Amino acid sequence: MFLTRSEYDRGVNTFSPEGRLFQVEYAIEAIKLGSTTVGIRTPTGVVLGVEKRVQSPLLESSSIEKIMEIDTHLGCAMSGLTADARTMIDHARVTSQNHAFTFDEKIKVESVTQAVCDLALRFGESMENEDAMMSRPFGVALLIAGIDELGPQLYHTDPSGTFVKYEAKAIGSGSEAAQAELQDKYHKSMEIKDAQILTLRVLKQVMEEKLDQHNVQLAQVTVERGFEILSDAQLKEAIDAM
Amino acid sequence: MADGHQHPIEHRFNPYAENGGTVLAIAGADFAVIAGDTRQTEGYSIQTRYAPKVFKLTDRAVLAVNGFQADCSEFVKRVMQRIEWYRHAHSKQMPLKAIARMIQTMLYGKRFFPYYTYNILGGIEEDGTGAVYSFDPVGSYEREACRAAGAASSLIQPFLDNQIYFKNQTPAPGAAPFVPGNLPIDVVLPIVIDSFTSATERHIEVGDGLEMFVVVAKGRDVSQLASLNAEEIPATNPGEERVFIVRRELKKD
Repeated sequence: MFLTRSEYDRGVNTFSPEGRLFQVEYAIEAIKLGSTTVGIRTPTGVVLGVEKRVQSPLLESSSIEKIMEIDTHLGCAMSGLTADARTMIDHARVTSQNHAFTFDEKIKVESVTQAVCDLALRFGESMENEDAMMSRPFGVALLIAGIDELGPQLYHTDPSGTFVKYEAKAIGSGSEAAQAELQDKYHKSMEIKDAQILTLRVLKQVMEEKLDQHNVQLAQVTVERGFEILSDAQLKEAIDAM
Repeated sequence: MADGHQHPIEHRFNPYAENGGTVLAIAGADFAVIAGDTRQTEGYSIQTRYAPKVFKLTDRAVLAVNGFQADCSEFVKRVMQRIEWYRHAHSKQMPLKAIARMIQTMLYGKRFFPYYTYNILGGIEEDGTGAVYSFDPVGSYEREACRAAGAASSLIQPFLDNQIYFKNQTPAPGAAPFVPGNLPIDVVLPIVIDSFTSATERHIEVGDGLEMFVVVAKGRDVSQLASLNAEEIPATNPGEERVFIVRRELKKD
């Protein structure tokens, strides 16, 4: 790929003669360098799991934040340039709060996903002398989990601004092996506990280090409790059950 | 004048007018009635005998709007536009309580040059119950069992307080306590008609015609409406809530 670099690599909004946007494609490549992230939907809730790469024994693993709350009924896990996700999640939070303020109801999972994806394509040259707000595409993919009147849902977004609904999805460096494993083991009528264990098993398979409560994080969105990041005790319990 | 106009006289443009008329809404257990007369006045003149004040917004929401007619029609147009945008953005009809909250934000958005409109929203909630929301011109709102607004509101509201909220009534000894908002449709519609015929007698800005919109919950029996010459407004989602309109003449003097 790098041998064929050309003029079309430069402008972020310039199509190549083959009809490709190289900078967007490279941004999608950036996600494949990120840590593995898994999401699984069940009839009662959605589970999100991430691998935390602890590069140094001196690093405080609790400071690595790869799962974030968007609203009480919405959560999000990321892979890629996690700093870029801050902008997107901030936008999602504002959109969700605005919706609740204006319509006195919780925003739908698809609507908040759409709002994030609208933002993803606002990079490149500014129009009519406005300052360019973003110079490049986001280098991050998100798994957005949530519950609305249509039940538990899981969405995947990428830097091209495309979003797709999944029952189970893995992104990041180990995504190919993880997705294959999910395809093998996922079934529609899973309990939330089974989904937690499957998430951990899939992560364990693709992680280089030994999985423990310091290098993974689990979160879930359930009908009863909404979004929550699992506490150390809950995480340990799930790891022991695995 | 004795001083021969020595003092300054203020000439000021008044951006508002008061166009008379009256609206009211009553909620039942699984229906809502939203009604308004059709006379439009300015001072002692009748501008038209048919100016509708009640509008179907969705299959389950009807808005009655009263006050300054120009602001009323502008406001209804904007509400309808926002409802359509919402339908495109979220692929569903806007629920009644969401419309109520949106109307608040739209009215309060013009807090310092308000729409001179009194709004009453009626329809069916997500849980299938009949509901009425009433608003002041800057967006303060409340869900109620009934409300009257406009020129004859001071005549009609006390009547509704008595008939719908059972104020100054005592249940017969041993009888069940009164619960507002549960009256059957064949009791509510005559109350609406009586309210408007009485208001027409005693208020010069009320009369000419009466339009009553009836919103009924999904699956509800509508046989009672047939005898009233009710006309159904075609639904966008058949099989869900239904909206009927019942028209009556009011005195034209």
